Amino acid sequence: MLRWPLIAVLIALLAAAPATAEIARIKQSSGAAVVQRGEQKLKPAPGLQLLAGDSLITGKDGRMSLTFVDNTRFAVGPNSRVSVSEFQYDRTRQKGSFVTQVDRGSLAVVSGKIAKSNRDAMKVRTPNTLLGVRGTKFIVEVPD
Amino acid sequence: MRALAALTCLVVAGCATSSLVLLPDEEGHQGAVAVLEANGKPTEAVIADGNSRTRLGDPTPASKPLGEQGLKKQEAALLTGLPPPAKSFLLYFDQGTVRLVPESARMLATLREEIAARSGPEVEVIGHTDTVGSQEDNDRLSIGRAEEVMNWLVSQGFDKSQLSAVGRGERELKEATADNVNSAVNRRVEVIVR
Repeated sequence: MLRWPLIAVLIALLAAAPATAEIARIKQSSGAAVVQRGEQKLKPAPGLQLLAGDSLITGKDGRMSLTFVDNTRFAVGPNSRVSVSEFQYDRTRQKGSFVTQVDRGSLAVVSGKIAKSNRDAMKVRTPNTLLGVRGTKFIVEVPD
Repeated sequence: MRALAALTCLVVAGCATSSLVLLPDEEGHQGAVAVLEANGKPTEAVIADGNSRTRLGDPTPASKPLGEQGLKKQEAALLTGLPPPAKSFLLYFDQGTVRLVPESARMLATLREEIAARSGPEVEVIGHTDTVGSQEDNDRLSIGRAEEVMNWLVSQGFDKSQLSAVGRGERELKEATADNVNSAVNRRVEVIVR
């Protein structure tokens, strides 16, 4: 009698398992800042491992910085909402695809190996623009 | 959703003024950013002027030099907040062993300091061999070398959650050689500290 519920729970757990590959780590954070993962709100302590789909949200005094596994670096400014909607990276071949959405606020980027791997493999979306990153350092600002 | 966001932008003045500041990277190279879509329409514009500011949303965006005013205070603060660049170390090994050559053994202390100085570090250790021996043996030897370095880091107090080790055997030679060639340059471990 116990067996079926147990299997059902296991299946539910498997189905609910998020993409668990680490894509980046938090380096620093200050002020009001959270990492939103589905319904969860995580404290961005240094070393926190990020997953594809995570959103970086800051309040008026909040900041966060992080480094991705392809060496891309981000600094998120105050009053921001930045989501990594897609991140795939093959460490061996050093190729991948990377899409970041900046809904509001500011984001500084130094691009890494994904941007170098293929033309426009790294993209940044703002509410009115889709950008293709061709190996550089830049700031995107989206006022409220 | 996107169409709705774009529409909201058109109605609510001010929200369509996303902007881009393009800068040279730390090595002084100037990259570019392509505008693939503006307000939902595909474009082929490329922003390539370093130290420039561009208002986004226009299919043919005009970049302005940052000029004497330079960066805004909050932009400068944002750049200051960027994490340090990843740093790579190369360590070399004696033929057929997981033993570091003396010069590389001396470099370990520098590696340890680099990791210790970073907030929330992530360290990737990648082992390689030369082409002496079979591919299977070299796969084992390369991961053995990477684990040797990783275990030393663990012995120095770094947490395993900060470290990962892989072996690439003789697949990624630093110096291209024929099979069964002894090469000191190829017998290496690369350590990437992020």
